[in-house]
Amino acid sequence: MSATSEEFQPTIVAFVCNWCTYTAADLAGTARMIQSPNVRLIRMMCTGMVDPKYVIKALLSGADAVLVSGCHPGDCHYINGNYKARRRMKLLKEILPRFGIDERRLKLTWVGASEGNEFAATINEMTRLVRELGPSEAATTMVI
Amino acid sequence: MKSAYDVLVVGAGIGGVRAALDLAEAGRKVALIDKRPGIGGLLAKLDNQFPTDHCGMCKMLPLTERDASSQFCMRKGLFHRNIDLMTGSELVSLEGEPGHFQAVINRKSSFVDPTKCIGCGKCAEVCPVRVKDEFNAGLSERPAVHLPIPHSIPNHYVVDLEACQRCWKCFEACPAGAIDFKLEAREQFNILLADPDEKALGQYTKWFEDLKFPFIQTRTGDETLSLLSVDDSVWMLLLDLSIKDMEPERILTRALELRPDLAVIVLGGPNKGEQAKKLVGLGARDFMLHPLKRSTFTPWLDKQYMRIMSDEKASLDVAAVILATGFACYDPSEMSGILGYGELPGVVTSVEFERLLSGSGPTGGRLTRPADGGPVRRIAWIQCVGSRDVKRNADFCSSFCCMASIKEAVLAKRALGKDVETTIYYMDMRTFGRDFDRYRRNAQQMDGVRFIRARPHSVLPDSAHPGDLRLTHMDDQGVMREETYDMAVLAVGARPPASMPALAGAAGIETNAFGFCKTQDLNPGRTSRLGVFAAGSANGAKDIAESLLQSGAAALGASRLVNLFAPIRGRVEEPVPVFRDVSRETPAILALLCRSCPVMEHGPDMDLIRDRIAAMPSVRAVETVERACAKEGWERIRELAAAGKPNRILIGACMPYAYAPRLRELGALIGLNPSLMDVVDIHTPLFSQPAAATPEGQARAGEDILARMSMSAAKLLGADPAPVDKVAPAAPSALVVGGGLAGMTAAIGIADHDYKVTLVEKSDKLGGLAMNLRTTLQGADPAALMEALVDQTMKHPNIRVMTNARVSLSTGRAGRFMSIVSTPEGGVPVEHGAAILATGGKRAKVYDFGFLERKTVLTHQELEDRIATGVLDTAALSTVVMIQCWRSRDATRDYCSRVCCAGAIKNTLRLKEKNPGLRVFILYRDIMSYGFSEEYFTKARKAGALFIRYDLDHKPQVRFDQENRPVVTVHDPVLRRDLEIHADILSLSDGIEPNDVSELSEIFGVPVGPAGFFQEAESKWRPVDFLKQGVFVCGVARGPANMAETIVSAKAAAQRALRILCDKSMAKAVVTAKVRESLCSRCGKCLDVCPYGARTMDIANDRIVVDELACQGCGSCAAVCPNSASYLRGFGDRQVMAVIDASLAGLGRPRTERKPVTMDDAAGS
Repeated sequence: MSATSEEFQPTIVAFVCNWCTYTAADLAGTARMIQSPNVRLIRMMCTGMVDPKYVIKALLSGADAVLVSGCHPGDCHYINGNYKARRRMKLLKEILPRFGIDERRLKLTWVGASEGNEFAATINEMTRLVRELGPSEAATTMVI
Repeated sequence: MKSAYDVLVVGAGIGGVRAALDLAEAGRKVALIDKRPGIGGLLAKLDNQFPTDHCGMCKMLPLTERDASSQFCMRKGLFHRNIDLMTGSELVSLEGEPGHFQAVINRKSSFVDPTKCIGCGKCAEVCPVRVKDEFNAGLSERPAVHLPIPHSIPNHYVVDLEACQRCWKCFEACPAGAIDFKLEAREQFNILLADPDEKALGQYTKWFEDLKFPFIQTRTGDETLSLLSVDDSVWMLLLDLSIKDMEPERILTRALELRPDLAVIVLGGPNKGEQAKKLVGLGARDFMLHPLKRSTFTPWLDKQYMRIMSDEKASLDVAAVILATGFACYDPSEMSGILGYGELPGVVTSVEFERLLSGSGPTGGRLTRPADGGPVRRIAWIQCVGSRDVKRNADFCSSFCCMASIKEAVLAKRALGKDVETTIYYMDMRTFGRDFDRYRRNAQQMDGVRFIRARPHSVLPDSAHPGDLRLTHMDDQGVMREETYDMAVLAVGARPPASMPALAGAAGIETNAFGFCKTQDLNPGRTSRLGVFAAGSANGAKDIAESLLQSGAAALGASRLVNLFAPIRGRVEEPVPVFRDVSRETPAILALLCRSCPVMEHGPDMDLIRDRIAAMPSVRAVETVERACAKEGWERIRELAAAGKPNRILIGACMPYAYAPRLRELGALIGLNPSLMDVVDIHTPLFSQPAAATPEGQARAGEDILARMSMSAAKLLGADPAPVDKVAPAAPSALVVGGGLAGMTAAIGIADHDYKVTLVEKSDKLGGLAMNLRTTLQGADPAALMEALVDQTMKHPNIRVMTNARVSLSTGRAGRFMSIVSTPEGGVPVEHGAAILATGGKRAKVYDFGFLERKTVLTHQELEDRIATGVLDTAALSTVVMIQCWRSRDATRDYCSRVCCAGAIKNTLRLKEKNPGLRVFILYRDIMSYGFSEEYFTKARKAGALFIRYDLDHKPQVRFDQENRPVVTVHDPVLRRDLEIHADILSLSDGIEPNDVSELSEIFGVPVGPAGFFQEAESKWRPVDFLKQGVFVCGVARGPANMAETIVSAKAAAQRALRILCDKSMAKAVVTAKVRESLCSRCGKCLDVCPYGARTMDIANDRIVVDELACQGCGSCAAVCPNSASYLRGFGDRQVMAVIDASLAGLGRPRTERKPVTMDDAAGS
């Protein structure tokens, strides 16, 4: 992917769990696998603590997309936090259109600690998708 | 260098890490050494473990006093306050007695100074060498100077001196001056050449012309020794065996007496190999035989020089030593002719296969045909490669490979889709663990993994289709079948590590016939040397859970010694750092930016960034430092932090993980809690920008760095600065439920550490299941052990035994439980800090075949009893039939009882001893003679016992003749016909069932698994813990186990319990949940979601109470709380919102044209 200065550079806020995806992100970063800039990593202890209001807040504050990423199912350091996240994000996707936000701007994935390449691929794919969707207008149309 | 530790742990694989953590958590100071450059051992290479088929290593981290340890992925690294990790280190000698060992460690230099290396990788770029990379099991190549484990922290490069070509390009390329080959010091390195040959000096001087080593020559032994006695500038002696006037042995020993640190290199004629080796045994450093060649001799000697100058020896004072040396995987190269390994690209070992599946592996996790990169559609696994192989001195089962192969087959399905065909060729599928058989069934039924009981003779190439592999096996009908595969995975077995003989010599311990640590049968942690314990797989290959249990048991043994000798040793406890209370100070951030790093060559304008950071709120000062990761840079940070008295510290550097131990050290130095410091990675943005060299790219990178810094600043500003308080001290006593082998072992383990133990037994006497055993497979005497154990338990001053008693109530939390024990005399209240459930199990009842009426039908247990007591007249018998898996591993009981196969083999061997002519038939499904019990399976077959396999569709049929003698009909798959066996005795495997624990499960609030055994927190990583803190499980209560395994798990549980008991007052972790009571509506949602049961409703005071020891800080409660009353310290709502704001602040997108919309508009859009 070659980016020119004119090309839209989406900003992705990523809520990642301390145990799996944060480690993978670190691996991807140090191994120079990520080509897409403007990823804002917010380390949470577990995806199970990602409150929907954080996601909405990020989207309404100007993020073009939000990634929530944690350990694979059955692999949560805290037993079942990622299952809670899965249920929560599914519901959240249902109500995002109410805020004028395309539900594709929220993505939930599982990326294990050693899957640096997987994290990079997720980010790169999201960037591609958001480029297609264009800049999020939620921040300019909604007031929080 | 000399330092004092409590325990030395050799080997930092997961076995060693578990032992070290167990001890460190209980306040012991541990030196953890490994000859490899990182932690994790074999598991550093394996990403996925069954049954979750993912990783879960982090679940080993401490649960109490969490902040003493690093709290992130353990594959990255482990930093614990009480553990000093020394990599590249080997134990070279161990002198002294238990309690007073002096261990000498050789710390091999990596030639890269870790205090200077910044991990930029410039050295690796210029290195011309390419050798196979161990991390990828040889599937990829690496330079001589390399990162040993790419993801591990610390991430310093190391030089593989053996592979080094001595071009010094890395030395020249290193921008940090971290690489040191001691090139300059050669001119002071005087080499004494003891050689009668006149021409030798001239030749060597010429050879070493470029290297400029000063040579001196002596021609006789006398001359040599007299020179050494006066000249102490000589570093190395080249001792040529052609010296005549004196025995070389004498020269060597005298020289070493004169100069103990002299490096003696032996040179000798081509046939002097034996003598030279002997001299190395006497203390010479190494040898080389004539004819010497300049091209090989000079680099070799130069490398010797570099090692001598750079390696360090450390002497450690320790009370006990734990060997966690693990195992190496068998190298199937010697079977290349048959299995094609090394010749056919499609044939890989199991470790290689896992690397191919790994995202950090050579192919980035894309599995393609190694031959031609085509798609993989069919994969075969061949079990027992290098295991169960008498010819290759491997008459043992490696225990882990069956489950590993099933897991790999499932992983392959996951990676390549359901269509990929996976076939496992096996001899016996050893699914002997409690949940293993269930996993196998799921793999077979749900994932479609195919199991074929056959041993393919060979793997052959397909000449018609290049790259295809042909495997031939004989099926149940006796027909030879050939199948083609894209890949064949060899499930390689275990071997002792190559360094085991040297280590055994250094530690002064014996090894067994296969080269593993020799340990006692019924005391598996105990090696032949008192005070030296075997952990993990040191005494035989095991799976993760068993390794961890073995490590726990070893830790208990070591801990007991430390405790015993503590008054004499008098090791000074390190002071616990005191942090000042900054909660009443205005936030003052000291921001530090690392710059001038070579990777920042095309960096953005750091001055601009500095100015903008200075403008951020609460930033008191911004300083730039050069190379924060290197020693000087860190010194500077320490000075600035100490001088400026900031109450928040923000460091912009790289590799935040590597700073965990440093922040802790800095915190102790300036008295600031490390939770108020943060390290931000400001280098990755530079790699990420597609055009970092362009002004636009740099500007974007600059924005990215600023965003990261301001996010971290927001997080620090929102952090709760109040000091973390301590938990009330734990009650110094434990409650053990169950007075069998496990319960008594655990009770003694704890009581020996001077804590009081209450042992509750429901029957009228101690002993339990193990009391019925007469002998073990290995021939130990269980009765004597049990008698001694009961005696010891009854007499122990710290143990209170309550028989005919049961626990009827238990309340409280880890550290302080209050339980009521009901006895015939009435209820007795017991206060305890921890509880161990060792409720054991029972022999399953056998009802079939009129079992109770017919004297000819017995269980294995009864047969054992009758043989041992002589009730059974073995001479009068002619045929005995044993049926294995009777009502096991089927619909009745879906798990393997683990002990029955050993029981049958044991009885067979005893019967055959007494009556060699006796015919013994053992009808089995899979013989579970895992580990070293395989040897006895071989013995039983050699003794003439006939093993006949049956499967669930062809169960043996039993009828009785007129004399009530059993007649067993079974289909023999080898002869392919039904056999009718007229037997004198039919012995049935009775299997093990758990005792009914439904009541206890409710009383202690701990779960019971599907089979009725207690369900531990995590079957692999936390085998004796419950999710509920302070309650542990061991012995048969957690799953079927033999005596040795029961003892091991009991000791492991005792060690875990000690961790709770030992602390006078535990510090709470920073990241724990709290409740703002004024906002709480007592809806109770948080009670339901807490996975640890850390929350309770305090009805009396109408509030929610958080048990801060049990809380692990997952934040589920905060996310579910409708009122934001529940929050996680360090992740409060306001704090997270501020971080989100900061992350998006610098977008520079027009945000002025905001026009409010109503919800109706939004819904319409």
